[in-house]
Amino acid sequence: MASLTDHLSDLVSDADAVLLFSPTSSFFDRFEGDDTDVVVIAPDNDVDAEVFVELPLPFDNVKDRIRFGIEGAMDADLVSAGDEVVCVASVFDGGPDSVIRVTVDETVHTGIYGLFVDSRAEPSVIRDVFEVAIELGQKGQKGKPVGALFVVGDAGKVMNKSRPLSYNPFEKSHVHVGDPIVNVMLKEFSRLDGAFVVSDSGKIVSAYRYLEPGAEGVDIPKGLGARHMAGGAITRDTNATAIVLSESDGLVRAFKAGELVLEIDPEEY
Amino acid sequence: MSAVPTSLSGVVSAVPERIWLALLVLLFGLVAAYVVGVINRRLLTRAGVPDVIEGTAFERTAREFDTSTVRILASLSSYFIVAVAVIAAMTVAEVNYLEQFWAGVAAFLPRVFIAVVVLIVGVVIGDKAELLVAERLRGIKLPELGVLPPIVKYSIVYVAALVALGQVGVQTLALVVLLAAYAFAVVLFAALGLKDLIASAAAGVFLLLRQPYGIGDEVKVAGERGIVQEVDLFVTHIEAGGEDHVIPNHSVFRDGIVLIRD
Repeated sequence: MASLTDHLSDLVSDADAVLLFSPTSSFFDRFEGDDTDVVVIAPDNDVDAEVFVELPLPFDNVKDRIRFGIEGAMDADLVSAGDEVVCVASVFDGGPDSVIRVTVDETVHTGIYGLFVDSRAEPSVIRDVFEVAIELGQKGQKGKPVGALFVVGDAGKVMNKSRPLSYNPFEKSHVHVGDPIVNVMLKEFSRLDGAFVVSDSGKIVSAYRYLEPGAEGVDIPKGLGARHMAGGAITRDTNATAIVLSESDGLVRAFKAGELVLEIDPEEY
Repeated sequence: MSAVPTSLSGVVSAVPERIWLALLVLLFGLVAAYVVGVINRRLLTRAGVPDVIEGTAFERTAREFDTSTVRILASLSSYFIVAVAVIAAMTVAEVNYLEQFWAGVAAFLPRVFIAVVVLIVGVVIGDKAELLVAERLRGIKLPELGVLPPIVKYSIVYVAALVALGQVGVQTLALVVLLAAYAFAVVLFAALGLKDLIASAAAGVFLLLRQPYGIGDEVKVAGERGIVQEVDLFVTHIEAGGEDHVIPNHSVFRDGIVLIRD
């Protein structure tokens, strides 16, 4: 047993910061008076911690949760690249059951934290749209790869910077993303040309939208097509977030303020 | 050899038939009480009562005494049937003394039983309501809201106690008047406090159904001109030049809407 204890003390030695993921207050109190910096990462600051990073979504995947937490801590200048941090998290339901040591580097900083937290739309809406896009990327439309463009948030401005290509199938309807039936509907409608417009609260405002933002000065990576260009440009003109599924390479990309902030492969998700 | 049976039959014949009948009634009553107790317990358990009342103060107290609310309710019904059986047996056996008293008890017993059951159910529901309200308010960390859960609990317990007292025939007029005054105050304050909210919701239903304006339209509402960003049940978000105006729907409805077309 000595080697196990040694290994554990090796794991936690010289840590620059301790990240506690959703700790109980009694567990948190045990860290009081400790020398190392303690950062609490949780959906709510239940333990009244001084240093707190908000977790807008309860990530089930621990890797995502830790990556997200570290990124939030980096954004708040609590940790910086090169720091060694120890994360105490709960993998299975219940109390903290795992200790994970992570070296912070810039590659962790993907911009996903800012995408969720600083967006106009609610974090859960962004996540729901992401999930639809990823599911579409995995399965495609009836087995064929398909592209899609979702513009989330700031719907009023987006509607004024676009025009309908045909009748809006979501006219006078009150459907919101995240509803399983609506997700199926979105996948069915993805064969339509044009963009989906989703409001801040997740209401699907329109499909079949032809976006016409001013595209000057929008710099997106070479090789991406008109769909990405339109998505990137609309986010420069408005405060919206564009989530684009590419038909050719099957990647899901997110644009904000005219820039590519996130690129994920649905197959690896 | 025949002495034993003779003496036995002598004993049997010495006891009047009525007594045997009474014993039979008593026996039947005991069996019925046991069966009803078991059935009640199973029914309450099957109906998910233990899960629902898990964690209430009454249930926890019952647990401390090594029993549970379901068990108490079930045994209460058993005791009630036993008591009825005893009285029935006494009537059959024509035990004459104190007849008046027993007649009174027989009439009174069901009321006491109902009163006790109402009280227990009231206390358990009160506890449960307190728990639910407290859980609901946990997200809002406002110490002043801590008074709300006990108020909900004692309101329910008060009503239950009133019903129970009424069952056993206690004069409850003064308490009823108190309850009426309390209910009136609650309704009055709720109506005053929620007036705008209810009006907004009513207007919001109309706005969502008819959609006189939708997201992306340029409108002038309640003196604010801008682009509609969001319409929900209570408010409309209108954005104009970096300012997001949140306008309650009732004022949208009262002041009218100007749709701007260009």
